[in-house]
Amino acid sequence: MGRMVINEEFLQQVETLQTLIKNNVAGQYGGNRQSKTYGSSCEFADYRDYVQGDDITKIDWNAYARFDKLYQKLYLDERQMHTRIYIDVSRSMEYGKNDKAEQALRLAAVLAYVSVNEMDKVSVYAIRNDQVEEIIPSMVGKEAFVQSVGKFNEVTFDGDSMISDAILPTKVGYGDGMSVIISDFLTDNDYERAIDHLVSKKRHVLCIQVLSKEELNPQTRGKVHFFDSEDMRRTYRKNIDKEIAQAYKAALNYVTERIENYCTARGADYALVSAEDSVAEIFFGKLVDKGVMK
Amino acid sequence: MRFLYPLGLLGLIGIPVLIIIYIIKSKYTEQTVPSTYLWNLSERFLKRKRPISKLAGILGLVLQLLAVAAISLAIAHPVIILPGAAHDYCFVLDGSGSMNIDQSGKTRLELGKEEISSVIKKAADGSSYTLVYVGCNTSVVYEQTEDKEQALLQLSQVSPEYAANEVTDAIGVAQEYFDENPSVVIYLVTDKAYDTVENMTLINVSDRRENYAISNIEHVWEEDAATVTVTAEAISYESDATLTVELYLNGETTPSATQTVQASKMQFVPVELSCTAVNFDHMSVRIKETDSLALDNEAIVFDVEKENEYDALLVSDRPLFIKSAIQSTGNAAVTVKTPAEYEEYKAAEKKEGFDLYVFDSYNPAQMPTDGAVWLFNLTSNLTGAGFSVQDDRVDIERDGGGELTLVADGSAASTALTKDVFGQGISIVRYVKYGLYRNFTTLFEYENNPIVFAGTNEYGNREVVFAFDLHDSNLPLLFDNLVLFGNLLEYSFPTIVEEVFYYSGDDAEINVISGCKSIRIDSPTGKISYLDTSSATSTFTLEEVGVYTVTLMVGEMQMQRRIYAALPQAERAPTQTAESISLQGEAGTDKRDGKYDDLIALFIGLAVLFLADWVVYCYDRYQLR
Repeated sequence: MGRMVINEEFLQQVETLQTLIKNNVAGQYGGNRQSKTYGSSCEFADYRDYVQGDDITKIDWNAYARFDKLYQKLYLDERQMHTRIYIDVSRSMEYGKNDKAEQALRLAAVLAYVSVNEMDKVSVYAIRNDQVEEIIPSMVGKEAFVQSVGKFNEVTFDGDSMISDAILPTKVGYGDGMSVIISDFLTDNDYERAIDHLVSKKRHVLCIQVLSKEELNPQTRGKVHFFDSEDMRRTYRKNIDKEIAQAYKAALNYVTERIENYCTARGADYALVSAEDSVAEIFFGKLVDKGVMK
Repeated sequence: MRFLYPLGLLGLIGIPVLIIIYIIKSKYTEQTVPSTYLWNLSERFLKRKRPISKLAGILGLVLQLLAVAAISLAIAHPVIILPGAAHDYCFVLDGSGSMNIDQSGKTRLELGKEEISSVIKKAADGSSYTLVYVGCNTSVVYEQTEDKEQALLQLSQVSPEYAANEVTDAIGVAQEYFDENPSVVIYLVTDKAYDTVENMTLINVSDRRENYAISNIEHVWEEDAATVTVTAEAISYESDATLTVELYLNGETTPSATQTVQASKMQFVPVELSCTAVNFDHMSVRIKETDSLALDNEAIVFDVEKENEYDALLVSDRPLFIKSAIQSTGNAAVTVKTPAEYEEYKAAEKKEGFDLYVFDSYNPAQMPTDGAVWLFNLTSNLTGAGFSVQDDRVDIERDGGGELTLVADGSAASTALTKDVFGQGISIVRYVKYGLYRNFTTLFEYENNPIVFAGTNEYGNREVVFAFDLHDSNLPLLFDNLVLFGNLLEYSFPTIVEEVFYYSGDDAEINVISGCKSIRIDSPTGKISYLDTSSATSTFTLEEVGVYTVTLMVGEMQMQRRIYAALPQAERAPTQTAESISLQGEAGTDKRDGKYDDLIALFIGLAVLFLADWVVYCYDRYQLR
């Protein structure tokens, strides 16, 4: 598969973006993200009594002059965030004009770039059936991104996707950054457990639902016999008329609202994007509006 | 049920075609989609449909099939048979002269036609109609037709006639239908009253309107006294009346004589009118008062002799013998001119226009083309005469001249021309020797030379030739002279019409004279007809009331005669009670199958309705975006 979803022009557009992490991260390595622990960043956090052996350069001499007691200034620690991006690579993502697969890869790449641009560690995974496959196990820095970005073009979309079954058994980290799930979420498979699991691991969760234009606003009318791309045994055979079209829109609203509500209730972010939406529209529009980016 | 146009049912082929199209089009389009999750989920949000909506898919097809079936049936024009709902009708319509009587702006015939139309319109479809019309002759206008429109149309085209004709023949025709089908419903539509009528329904359209008539006209014209005396009879059929009878002479617009008489009902009153008449051509006797039937209020009488009179031109220096012979034996007005006067007359290019040209010892430059020609002692060749002059003067060197020999070859022409001619002792002292090259009938000859002969010239006109001058013969002194001239005039001008007064319905007899090319009859209403000229006489039925003009073309000569047809007396008092009239046999009660064929409007309505429903359905289905 030779997708060319990432190019230099495209990356230049997103260089100015920055992800917003709601909770301070607790990464293993230093980085640009404020941690919940005290560290050696330049951002003042608190005072404590000086004990012998402390770095005397961090004694607040002004406080000593006022209180005649040595106080040690404490600074926030800055840790490296680990952004884990999960891409639904089921066959359903690959259908339609300007298919969802391209959009999903494009989103993943941009998110990865934004993260490495902030010196975060990025891992990209593919959810295939009930397994999580590593696309890019780990990359830090732009150089690593450039070296690894080609792997996005090698992703194949096939089979089904069982998000919860795939994510739950894997190591997802704890409080060390953002987990992004990019999928169409058009499945009865339980993705909610995955969200709960990630949230319980103090991960900042972002669910991006990618739907094609035909899925958002179907134009098909008349007698059709639909076969599900992921499982041909799943079919839909109807004479699509006005009532059915209206019912479809109701079902779509139900699905999108259910995810959004679920995410909102758990402090996760949710964004619905069309496969035809431009990157700028998504990142500078929808994600900024939702406070995921700044 | 049957169909007027069964081929229309071919449209039903559209039904299987539609079904096939429906089956082909109704195949579900198979399509692989990213996920059927949302579609299947949409079932939960689908509002419960009404049961009729579940048929929506098939409803379109059903409507289309119904539309095609309805249209096909409409084209095929179905006719539903209604057993025992119709009748066989036979109408006997009296079209005789009395049916022309006007009643409140409509003639009795029109009223009768309205009565029949009413019956036809009310009759159940599938009924059959027969119309027997009694005009001059009894005719079956249409027979057992089931086509109402055609029956009404042909009924409306029946025109009034004027003859007196009993309905007996028509009843005979009706009897035939009755014998075939005793259940036939027979109507007799007339203005005559009958004591009893059996096995038929009488529709009497008479309301006994006032009617006067003039009849039994006779006249005497005394040319010497210049007076004409007319006797006639006037009558009022419905009531006592004072009638004014007027006499008009020769087409004048003011009456020459008038007499007022008191006429009792149904009593003929004699009328006598007299007036001065220097010339008498024809006269009209009419009743001044108006009534419901004007046709019998006037009678026109032509003078037979005047009608058969002819104009003769005699060109001679010594016309005495010939003129006196013509005038004494024929009905001619003779104009005499000397050769010099005739040449001046010709030089002035005056219209010829004579019925007979007589050239006595005069050689005309050319043969007249518009009338009969008699040539006496012609000494030079005349183009078109049919003979040539071989010797212009042969003197007979014998005392008392040479005696002519009567030639009787037994032919019809010869027999007619020499009828009652003694033929003995006719002598001449000189003659002109002719060579004949046309077919002439020779009456007299001398030494095998034709002396008197008759035939037709090159223009088809009758020609009589005397090869001598009457002054060189003793013929004018003999009795044979008048007989011979009489025969020759009868030959040149046979009587065309013997009678000039008829009643409508009579057959007028026209004598077809020799050489007659055509006989044209112009009726009072302007109808033109031509008679057969192949026999000696030709007859023509006078169907109208009024003046007929008879025009004969004999060679280049046109001869015109007039005759008058009056309304028959029997038709002037039609309301008199007549004898019983009945059809023999036992009337039946069987009916024939009726039909109802007005379904076409229903089918068309259904088709429109279904098509409209179809359009609405399609709009709802395909235009919902």
